[in-house]
Amino acid sequence: MTPIAANLRLYLANRTWAVFTPIYILLIMLGLSLIIGALIGLATGYPLPEGTTVQMRMNNGALYSVPGFLISVGALAMNRNFSMALAFGSTRRNFWLGTSVGFLVTSLTVALGAVVLLGLELATNHWFFGARAFDVAALGDGNVLQTFATMFVVSMLSLYLGAFFGTIYRAFGPIWVTVAALGIGLLLAVTAAFFVVSWDEMAVSIMALGAWLVLAVGAVATLLSAAGSYAVNRVATP
Amino acid sequence: MTANQPSAERRPLRSPEPSGIRLEGVTKKFGRKDVLLGVTATLAPGKIYGLLGANGVGKTTLMALICAHQFRSGGSILVDGVDPVENADVLRRMCFIHEDQRYNDNFSVGQVLAVAPAFYPTWSAETAERLAQRFRLPARTKSKKLSRGQRSALAITISLASRAAYTFLDEPYLGLDASARSIFYDELLIEYAAAPRTFVLSTHLIDEAANLMEEVIILEDGVVAVQTEVDEARRGSFVVRGREAEVRAMLGDREVLTERGLGAILSATVRGEATPVDHAFADAHHLSIEPATLQEYVAAIGIHSLSRTLDAGDAGDQHTSASRSRIEVSS
Repeated sequence: MTPIAANLRLYLANRTWAVFTPIYILLIMLGLSLIIGALIGLATGYPLPEGTTVQMRMNNGALYSVPGFLISVGALAMNRNFSMALAFGSTRRNFWLGTSVGFLVTSLTVALGAVVLLGLELATNHWFFGARAFDVAALGDGNVLQTFATMFVVSMLSLYLGAFFGTIYRAFGPIWVTVAALGIGLLLAVTAAFFVVSWDEMAVSIMALGAWLVLAVGAVATLLSAAGSYAVNRVATP
Repeated sequence: MTANQPSAERRPLRSPEPSGIRLEGVTKKFGRKDVLLGVTATLAPGKIYGLLGANGVGKTTLMALICAHQFRSGGSILVDGVDPVENADVLRRMCFIHEDQRYNDNFSVGQVLAVAPAFYPTWSAETAERLAQRFRLPARTKSKKLSRGQRSALAITISLASRAAYTFLDEPYLGLDASARSIFYDELLIEYAAAPRTFVLSTHLIDEAANLMEEVIILEDGVVAVQTEVDEARRGSFVVRGREAEVRAMLGDREVLTERGLGAILSATVRGEATPVDHAFADAHHLSIEPATLQEYVAAIGIHSLSRTLDAGDAGDQHTSASRSRIEVSS
């Protein structure tokens, strides 16, 4: 087994934690969305009226439900597995690469899970009464490719953000986590200021992206987080 | 940036020939604290080494530097002729489970033992199974729930089953009772015979483990004070006991590692070997001369080092060293 594959195996040793739980979270989010839709239906009747089902297009539960857990997965993978990997003779680089492949597995699982649930949602005409959880604006209004890509990028971003902060915590301690968080906050503020100032020139091209905007921003942030976690990991000690 | 933090460049893959570990002037600082001041030593392949010294002298740090868990501040470390830092070919031939090794809290013992073989091409499933049975490791128990002794047993199981060419054992017996320690000593020798490799064993139960070791490296004041065969180390000091005046007369200006006084009786551990003249003097003045055990020798070096540090602190000069120290036990 190659060193990268060994680190992937380390990441996947507890599959419930690394693979299945995010799917359970999506299912819980779906269940809650259906309950909310059903409660609304008590007042509006079934199937849900056109206005209500259109409003449910703004349901961002799929987008918001998994990041919290995946950030913790990323942070704990870097924290808890790192000292094990080094004890077992891994390099930092191979640990990061193997764990990154693991992140890929988790993210692909989440994205595929979302696509399967989207397919069920469309096939059942929105769960037989017009409720929506995956056929929503943020995921491209039923666009399979966009749903897959967005959920994939959001998952990767969450995992790498967790990995970035988890590695900083391990390498430099909690104070530097705060410093890094403040630094990122400052960076976001500067970026926001830039967009506000140049909004008139950029508005047309940005708005043209539509829901792809989430994907584009997420992809850039993922690459930055991945680069950051790699750089810190290279100098970290158990 | 420390001396050996990884650079971005990739090293070519190659299979290094086993040629041992060579340390040259290795230093390590943690902030302003100097832990290692220039460790120079050579560890041959296929031998069992005892890495000895007082608490805080840097044994674990030295092992962590060799295994690239920590980054050295200066000097050079070569394992099989190459720097181990971020070198996958060398590091996969090394196993170092820390005394306070952190595992993924979510992992059970069974999961840890299922993952470890992926890292070692030389892993012995038979050894792992045998040790897990002998130590009665609970496969389903989460690693965070293990007792101190069970954690040590798990570390020993992984270390020995890895059959890594360079296996580092950091206080491996902590929390183990006498029978479990006996299992460890048995298994170490069984494994060493089955697959000869380099073991580096840091321990405070020196006399108990001394028969396992072929060579000892004793750290003192951040450097290697002694590196020698175990038998030679045992001859490295002796203890003289008797009335204080006669003992002092015999000691002359020899290097005394520790002294213990009890009323008019003095017991001194002296560096070096007792000469026939010493024995004759001892017989004539009713003094006893006995070889110090390895444990006494290492303990004496530790106390000696501590006393010198305290003396240096009193003198306001860290480089001043007193040649003698005195620990009084009076009744």
